[in-house]
Amino acid sequence: MDMFLYLDKDTFLHRLDPRTKLLVVLATFIVALMFDTLQVLLVLTAIILTYGYMGKVLSNLKRIRVILLMIAFFSIVLWSFAKGGDTRLLGLITLEGIIYGFIIGIKFNVMIISGMIFLSSTKIEEISLGLVKLRVPYRGAFAFSTAIRLVPMIVGTSYTITQAQKSRGLDLDSGTFIQKFKKYVPLLIPTLISIIRGTNVFAMALESKGFGYDDSRTNYLEIGFDWTDYLVIVLTVAITAFSIFAKLNHLF
Amino acid sequence: MDIAEVKKPRSNAISIRNLTFRYKDQKEGYAIENINLDIENGQFVVIMGPSGAGKSTLANCLNGLIPNFVRGKYQGEVWVNGKKAKEQTVSKMAKDIGLVFQDFESQLFSTNTKLEIAFGPENFMVPRDEIHKRINKVLKIVNLEGYEERQPSTLSGGQKQRLAIGSVLASQPKIICMDEPTTDLDPIGKLGIFKIAKELHEDKELNLIIIEHETEEALEADRLIIMDNGHIIKDGKPEQVLREIELMDSIGIMALQVPKYFKRISSIVAEALPLIPEEGFERFTAMKLALDKKKYEEILQSELERENKYGDIIIEVKDLEHTYPNGKKALEGACLKIREGEFLAILGHNGSGKTTLVKHLNGLLMPTTGNVYVGGKDTKNTTIFEIGKEVGFVFQNPDHQIFADTVYEEVAFSPKIRGCSSEEIDRRVKEALKAVDLEGYEKEDPFSLSKGERQRVAVASILSARPRVIMLDEPTTGLDFKEQKRMMELIKKLNEEGNTIIIITHTMWVVSEYAHKVAVVKDGEMVMYGNTREIFGREEELLDTFLKVPHIVSLSNKLGKTILSVEEMVACTKGVKQ
Repeated sequence: MDMFLYLDKDTFLHRLDPRTKLLVVLATFIVALMFDTLQVLLVLTAIILTYGYMGKVLSNLKRIRVILLMIAFFSIVLWSFAKGGDTRLLGLITLEGIIYGFIIGIKFNVMIISGMIFLSSTKIEEISLGLVKLRVPYRGAFAFSTAIRLVPMIVGTSYTITQAQKSRGLDLDSGTFIQKFKKYVPLLIPTLISIIRGTNVFAMALESKGFGYDDSRTNYLEIGFDWTDYLVIVLTVAITAFSIFAKLNHLF
Repeated sequence: MDIAEVKKPRSNAISIRNLTFRYKDQKEGYAIENINLDIENGQFVVIMGPSGAGKSTLANCLNGLIPNFVRGKYQGEVWVNGKKAKEQTVSKMAKDIGLVFQDFESQLFSTNTKLEIAFGPENFMVPRDEIHKRINKVLKIVNLEGYEERQPSTLSGGQKQRLAIGSVLASQPKIICMDEPTTDLDPIGKLGIFKIAKELHEDKELNLIIIEHETEEALEADRLIIMDNGHIIKDGKPEQVLREIELMDSIGIMALQVPKYFKRISSIVAEALPLIPEEGFERFTAMKLALDKKKYEEILQSELERENKYGDIIIEVKDLEHTYPNGKKALEGACLKIREGEFLAILGHNGSGKTTLVKHLNGLLMPTTGNVYVGGKDTKNTTIFEIGKEVGFVFQNPDHQIFADTVYEEVAFSPKIRGCSSEEIDRRVKEALKAVDLEGYEKEDPFSLSKGERQRVAVASILSARPRVIMLDEPTTGLDFKEQKRMMELIKKLNEEGNTIIIITHTMWVVSEYAHKVAVVKDGEMVMYGNTREIFGREEELLDTFLKVPHIVSLSNKLGKTILSVEEMVACTKGVKQ
């Protein structure tokens, strides 16, 4: 099973400098957090999806579709009760609440999608190199990229462990949500222990390959800005600036 | 002033003086004690010894992981290329000595093969052009050309370990030390590593130190060091050391089978013992020995009787085909008929589909087409919980299975979730622990036990569910010879008590000495299936699937019969002058 998010393809998105792509993520976050207007958020989502589509990485969204749906679902359920409003539909549920929940759901989902597009189109080494070029110390950048790298390892280990416990007769599929949750708790122990053992070897292997030999190091990968980078940067900055301007002047 | 008295041993690749180390959490004794060792430039050294002998500790001392990364009480000196390991950081030492670990999953971390190899040179500030050249050179050495852009996680085990070696080679250290690089590998993977080792050795500048379990491969080395209990107890040419059968037996390293056999049947002096099957064959004919036909017939007869005692068919696999959700076909047209009381070994390289096959037998996977019947019931119509009562599955890594605080709790888990009464649970735990020889360990914390013991706890926790069939995924991997033998004797006992056994394994002597039947899977197809003796007689065919029969089997095949163990061979030998 392939656990890594990065999709190795040759598109303009993959060739973009990691710093450019980080800027796009940042801009998405700014705009998404700034507005609570459905139209604006839908436009933003459309832009981000097009951006991802051009990079041929949207297939990765399938892998997190459950998370995306859950967020939308819970947001709608939660806010339909909590928000209040004039149009009461049933009990505490209001139409305004449902719409607001939908907006919040989109807001979070678009941020996740934007992050996902970044991780699907950028090699981990590029991320850390990008961070280094942004003056983040190499050790810090490496630690950050290692955290991303650990996710697939944890998923893989927990998959094996779940199978091992199922084989022993642990019934993980039936029961209510709470019951299921309780059944998963014992699985945390072998998962954590395996990961700690693994990371220990990882640390030893790092040192044994000369990690931290000197403060500076060569970078085999080359990154740099291209005309596409400048285009994307200009567009991103323009959209963000216009959004801020609009927000300050209450245009939407 | 003490250093001034000893001549600084700069001329050797490695010089170790009075090295003693105790881990921080080690209560008594030392992991290694008073080690003195000199390794000259260009030597290929193999280090062997049982678990806990101190081999890995010694390896980690070489590049300063001990005491700079792993703490403890450290005495003595380690010089590597004229540098004192203790006084340098590990990353500084890495320029002189590269370390490859057993666990290949955890030592690879880059997005693709090229970047993995580039990581070391990058740290040493090698210019980019030079890194590019080195990548190409290394890819050629470790035979991974064409895999530049591949993600390490998508490579096979053998390829991963080869990449791990390559990533160390790229920094061009003078010394390479590999800590059990082949333990987790299938036969093809192992072969690939040994081939690289051999080629690297042709470079006279490079020092190669390999910690290894495989006795048969140690013959290639210039020098063989045997460790036990933290001491070096033997150091010499492999051909000499490997002839010391008694020594090997006493400390629990697998002795070469051919010299062992000749030692048993004759009084040839140690220096003259033949080592490999070819030499054994010559000696056998020269000594005018012969195989006793009557004895051989008796063995065949007793095997036939064993077969007649098998019960009904308990697992049946019919034209099984499995395609994974990503469209990859893992298994095609597999057929098996397993009768109660059988002992079946499933062989094949990593990714051949053998794990996919056994996961069908306990309902973890469902056939894409075809059927699997367990106890007469189609697995498609039952749940894994139901099948679990019939078929227990011990996973390869006991750490993936164990989670309780005490051994008792761990073993009691299965009967507990099956709703047994507390007396019944008590009885079953007792019975299971007795079976694996761990009585009195009830209150121990499983994680404080040794790997071999944890493996046995894992088996006990399956036994307590009282399944009729027990499947074990590589039950001997990562264990030393003594522990392997113990594990297999335990499994054999369970089999004799009526359990049906299915094991997946790479260890060929285990198959030849214990399994009744063998199924060989290659690229998703079952290419061979039959009695162990019959299958092991087809040595050439097995070689095509990269499986090498044990030396004694190979010797007997040259003599026209298939004999599975040294004991059998001794019993069948005729014409020995007493």
